[in-house]
Amino acid sequence: MSTVLEVLPITEMFEPSNCDDLCALIASAHDSKTAIYPLGGETALNFGLPAKHSGWGVSLKQFDQVIDYPARDMTITVEAGVSMQSLAETLAKENQRLPIDVPQASEATLGGVIATNFNGPRRYGMGTVRDYVIGIHAVDGTGRAFKGGGRVVKNVAGYDFCKLLTGSLGTLAVIHQVTLKVKPCPQRSAIVVGTVKNLAQAENVLAELVTSATTPAAIELLCGPVWHDDAIWDGDAADELAIAVGLEGTDAEVQWMSAQLLEDLETWGVENCREVEQSKVADAWTSMSEFPAQHQSPLVLKGSVVPGATTKLIEAILGVDPNCSIQAHAGNGIVIASFSEFPVDGLSRTLLAKLHPVANSAQGNIVVLSNPGGHEMTHQSVWGGIHAPFGLMTDVKKRFDPQGILNPGRFVYV
Amino acid sequence: MATAVSSNLIERLRTAVGNENVLSADADLMVYECDGFTIEKNSPDVVVFPETTSQVATVVKACNEFGVPFLPRGAGTSLAGGCLPIGGGVMIVLTRMKEILEINIRDRYAIVQPGTVNVWLTQALKGTGFHYAPDPSSQGACTIGGNVATNSGGPHTLKYGVTVNHVLGVEAVLADGSVVRIGGPAEDSPGLDLVGALVGSEGTLAIVTRVWVRLTPNPQGYRTMLGIFESVEETSNAISDIIGAGIVPAALEMLDRPILVALEEAFKFGFPLDAEAVLLIEVDGLEAGLDAQRDQIVGICEKAGAREVRQAANEAERAKLWKCRKQAFGAIGRLSPSYCTQDGVVPRTKLPHILKRIAEIGEKYDLQVVNVFHAGDGNLHPILLFDEREKEQTQRVLKASGEILQECLDCGGSVTGEHGIGVEKIQFMNKMFTEEDLAAMGNLRDAFNPFNNLSPDKMLPTSGACGIEQKHPGRRAAL
Repeated sequence: MSTVLEVLPITEMFEPSNCDDLCALIASAHDSKTAIYPLGGETALNFGLPAKHSGWGVSLKQFDQVIDYPARDMTITVEAGVSMQSLAETLAKENQRLPIDVPQASEATLGGVIATNFNGPRRYGMGTVRDYVIGIHAVDGTGRAFKGGGRVVKNVAGYDFCKLLTGSLGTLAVIHQVTLKVKPCPQRSAIVVGTVKNLAQAENVLAELVTSATTPAAIELLCGPVWHDDAIWDGDAADELAIAVGLEGTDAEVQWMSAQLLEDLETWGVENCREVEQSKVADAWTSMSEFPAQHQSPLVLKGSVVPGATTKLIEAILGVDPNCSIQAHAGNGIVIASFSEFPVDGLSRTLLAKLHPVANSAQGNIVVLSNPGGHEMTHQSVWGGIHAPFGLMTDVKKRFDPQGILNPGRFVYV
Repeated sequence: MATAVSSNLIERLRTAVGNENVLSADADLMVYECDGFTIEKNSPDVVVFPETTSQVATVVKACNEFGVPFLPRGAGTSLAGGCLPIGGGVMIVLTRMKEILEINIRDRYAIVQPGTVNVWLTQALKGTGFHYAPDPSSQGACTIGGNVATNSGGPHTLKYGVTVNHVLGVEAVLADGSVVRIGGPAEDSPGLDLVGALVGSEGTLAIVTRVWVRLTPNPQGYRTMLGIFESVEETSNAISDIIGAGIVPAALEMLDRPILVALEEAFKFGFPLDAEAVLLIEVDGLEAGLDAQRDQIVGICEKAGAREVRQAANEAERAKLWKCRKQAFGAIGRLSPSYCTQDGVVPRTKLPHILKRIAEIGEKYDLQVVNVFHAGDGNLHPILLFDEREKEQTQRVLKASGEILQECLDCGGSVTGEHGIGVEKIQFMNKMFTEEDLAAMGNLRDAFNPFNNLSPDKMLPTSGACGIEQKHPGRRAAL
């Protein structure tokens, strides 16, 4: 894992402990046109274009307090520097949770997860982090503190800054406090796994799952060497693909779904169908959450396509690197590819000639999640999406950060 | 921003959209002088009915060229004056762009034009096993474009989320007439979540001309219950206890006695008229879990003091119950000549407190206040009954409404859960938000709508609309 100073050209580190100090710091950076790199758990430093402007690192680590947790309202207000694990522990005391799966949860902060819009397997059944943020406090690129939303679960007063800041990579404002709506913990969680021989068969099964009577929390399609030592794999042949379906709910619901699904999967020709042993279910969820943080991989890409084209994109990726390890949140059309080696044709040529056309034809795109070597990190290779309205986004950026000091040069702006 | 639309512009508009798609006679324009918020009224100078995105773009460009304000409108069922044409100008009515362009079950999305009526989509999905989840009570009339503008809710959004949770992408015409596509059927478009920013922006950022919506699988089964209570306090405690127990019903609605009386007169459902309030509770999902959830809810209601918890015996009874609920506002005409409803939200544990305060405020101003609302997410709709011909009564209603909304804010809530700010609640924006918050909102608007000529003077008091002082409370027909 790269350290912050290896990745970002930081000349000085700051750890403000309250909103006033954060405002003053950013106002000062604004006046001196100094770049600001907002930092959470430093687990996604490689995400985005390489930083070129030297500047200040601003850690939110001291923003780690729970402000208000009215558990019976099923909302929580916390500072953005709280780690996902610490947040989960707080919520677990009330048998509640934020059902967003992220790798390195002991390090990753809530603010970082929101800024990167990071979501894992449960996005199929539970939605993404944008669905849970109901209030947000942040400081813009001039040092001005502002908020959006509130502390109630339904609220349409004013523009929805909760959505605008989610996934903005700290480029519009530095998020320092968040109100979330949370969910009750399920009584039971299970994972049903089976294998298929090829991608065509996988697509048949995925299409059947769309209209299945069950209501999965996650639909994952997995292949490649990274999975072969995993509890989910359980000795399946290396050239096979695993379909893992996460089920959550009451005991009765999960037991019914598991039995139904095992029967369905066999009907659809899936082999080696089994339910992961209850004692291993938590570990299996963890390994599915950790996958995107492949520190040894020279390149991790994330493709998003319409769900029905998931296997088509995987086919194209395996065409580039047959030893690539893949996790697809297949119900959502999200494909995370951890390459075994850097593409011999180079990143740009591989993307432009082989992968972007496939993603674009399925109405999607590909972004680079991490490329620690930093080769060929251009706007187009990192952010794809040539049809996205980057000009309009740039107009928004200029209004919130007129000097362009917040995480400069790393996001989609043109 | 009073405008006089020149005959040259009208001619341009006729050329752009066709003669038959332009209205400019005074009598024709009167229909478009307000939405469901009937207090503030102003006619547009021209109404156009484009049929394509490029026609919308051409109209917008012409408005820019002539320096005339413009705004979009759907079915006009909104309740806060969101499509009130302040300063006149050109109203772009999208009801002729009403096609469902694609339904894709494999990829769980549909593409609709903005004038598609909400319920048409669910009707078109019949037999597929999917539906479109946001279900505002006006869903038989309101358009999906309008739902996008106001981020509409509805009874079942408690479990399934509001409009923004179901919009994957939009095509929109910006204030300068350029056309953008934001998001689409594939998730995680790179860059800012402008879809999230556009939904609920009340027509002030762009004119949506096409919407990609997510489709939701139909639940396997339902259990629909009617909890009958002797007091409002017991009812609100039951709501709080259900949510506090970690149960997420599909819907959890409260109706108090005066509303039940009116509904019973209208629909003859068999509501218990001696009860002080009822809870309409629905759980849905897998059959395997429904009876247990129902039993748990029945237990909580009984513990909170419910006299009885009935269950809808069959689909027909369930449908009738929901019909009663969704048409509740229509029945209010039986109670008084005029009414005013508010849309405040409180944290759900504050429901017992706020309902008590609403009753006290009603007493203080000598007004009858009745309640029918989305209890599960704390979204109140207190309805103040009065006669708008009586000026003094009207003033009392305005004062009481303001006090109720202030009380919602004091409870840590919001002045609007689903109806929007529009012009109606613009004076509350600086009570909910600081000057800095509003300046940030102004920044966002300026990025999309730098000259404030698209839906001018809405939503943000800084836009110059703080001068609109409410003289009468709103009289509305839906929620």
